Amino acid sequence: MSLSQPVTSAPQAELDAVPSKAPVRRAPFRSRAAAAGFLAPAVVLVVGLLMVPFAFTVYRSFFDDNGFTRTFTGFDNYTALLTDETFGQSLLNTLMWVVGTLVLPVGIGLAIAVGTWKLRLGALARFAIVLPYAISGAATAVVWTFMLSTDGGLDAMLRSVGLDGLVQQWLLQWPLNTVMMIIATTWQATGACVILFLVGLQSIPPNTLEAAQIDGASGWRLFWNVTFPQLRPMTIVVVGISIVGSLKVFDQVLLLTNGGPGTASETLALTMYRETFTLSRYGSGAAVAVFLTIVVVVASYAYLRRQLRPEPK
Amino acid sequence: MTTTSRRTLGIVLAVVSLIWLIPSYLMVVNAFTPGAEYSGAPAWWPTSMSLFDNIGIAFANANVGQGMLNSLVYALVGAGAAVLIASLASFAVTIMPVRRPTLWFWVIYVGTILPLQAFLSPLFTGYAAASLFDTQYGMLLVYVALTIPFAFFVVRGHMTGLPTEIREAAALDGAGYLRMFLRIHLPLSTSALMAAFVFQFTWIWNDLLFGLTLSSSSNIRPVMATLADLTGSYSTYGPPVALAGALVASLPTLIVFFSFQRFFGRGLNPTA
Repeated sequence: MSLSQPVTSAPQAELDAVPSKAPVRRAPFRSRAAAAGFLAPAVVLVVGLLMVPFAFTVYRSFFDDNGFTRTFTGFDNYTALLTDETFGQSLLNTLMWVVGTLVLPVGIGLAIAVGTWKLRLGALARFAIVLPYAISGAATAVVWTFMLSTDGGLDAMLRSVGLDGLVQQWLLQWPLNTVMMIIATTWQATGACVILFLVGLQSIPPNTLEAAQIDGASGWRLFWNVTFPQLRPMTIVVVGISIVGSLKVFDQVLLLTNGGPGTASETLALTMYRETFTLSRYGSGAAVAVFLTIVVVVASYAYLRRQLRPEPK
Repeated sequence: MTTTSRRTLGIVLAVVSLIWLIPSYLMVVNAFTPGAEYSGAPAWWPTSMSLFDNIGIAFANANVGQGMLNSLVYALVGAGAAVLIASLASFAVTIMPVRRPTLWFWVIYVGTILPLQAFLSPLFTGYAAASLFDTQYGMLLVYVALTIPFAFFVVRGHMTGLPTEIREAAALDGAGYLRMFLRIHLPLSTSALMAAFVFQFTWIWNDLLFGLTLSSSSNIRPVMATLADLTGSYSTYGPPVALAGALVASLPTLIVFFSFQRFFGRGLNPTA
């Protein structure tokens, strides 16, 4: 999960919550010009370097384009995708990533944050888990290539404890390779979830917890009935980041299996990359990109819309 | 919590932490094995002290040093510029009389939603046409554009929370917008600016995709792209060299991350 390109939290709710500005009187021309000056650099850069190229990708997805010639083919690229088995596999893998990263990094991150929160030596456990998050993705890939390659670290570990029967070609068979890559990502990404959940825990007013404890709630009941509901805003952020991050997953797969063997472990982002940069089928790659974008936008919208509705009282 | 359950929790946490440390431990230990002697099976204990030799090889043959220098420039300047530009825009949509602030919010924020691969290929074509491909200027430009949206999200969230009285008092004093921004809002947003900077520094430092696509020569390529080359040429230098390179390349983010960690909570949490 990358923390820097997430769709996060709740922009819409937050925007709605902002008291709307005083009825818009026409501001004097000078201050409107000044406002334009303040906005312009961000808008120009984002539109120029992100939105214009994206619009071009959308345009290109309707063409058969090999980089030299371009013929309009309408929705052919899209229909071709839907009948392509590789694309189906890629979709399935992406789905595995979404579910896997929701269960593992988010689940473990929540457990660690809540479990170590009030513990004296909790900071030590948190350090062990946050450490890999600060290690770069490419470095993580080096470590895990090393761990998961045939006769690598994991196999050596299994042999040393006498579990020779479990020795595997971890990255060479599907679906094991996708599962192992999700585990590798869990190792790296859980730290970010721990940090965010800790931030959330700190904003829970202590007296609610104390009151619940006086009432005799403890352990699981305290967590489920008091702590977890109060963590809701942060849980929404973390789950939102996780969904978008896993739909877009790229680096880990590229570095660990390059989508292989064959195209067995490809995710949508990787399929798009291969179509465009390896096969030079620009139109087809663009169609995958547009498809992926639609999935990400719809998923985040559907999720946020459901989650941001005010809680029924 | 009872003593037994507390003890169980402690044991579970200790086991989980130890499992978590195994890959990091293996990474460090095996970076000490001489690259040429690597047998194919990872070592569990340091067998020799060749760490610095391996780092030397990585630096000499795969340009990890040059890559780190490039990345340092991109991450420092890029994240700095992105945070500054994002805070100008945040100031505009929260304080200044902009019509349709919500529209402008989405125009900038949408950058965090789009999958990066979706604009990679046109960007590549555009860069080639504009002679920005494989230039430091071009790399900086794309990193700034990519990191503005999230920085904007963080800083804007913070500025929304600042009391409106501040603005009114400043306006009464006759302060112009630029002065108000520089003297009041920027200093009051330090924690949010720091958090945004650290996240974006880390992001740029760890970027692989744009480094691989938009640069080719070693005096332009960021470090993650160089490291990927090193992993790809496993057979030539052996895993210990790649591990040693990865270890060194992780230091800057580790340092930045842990030294700025205390800013995260305050900068991101709207209630803090």
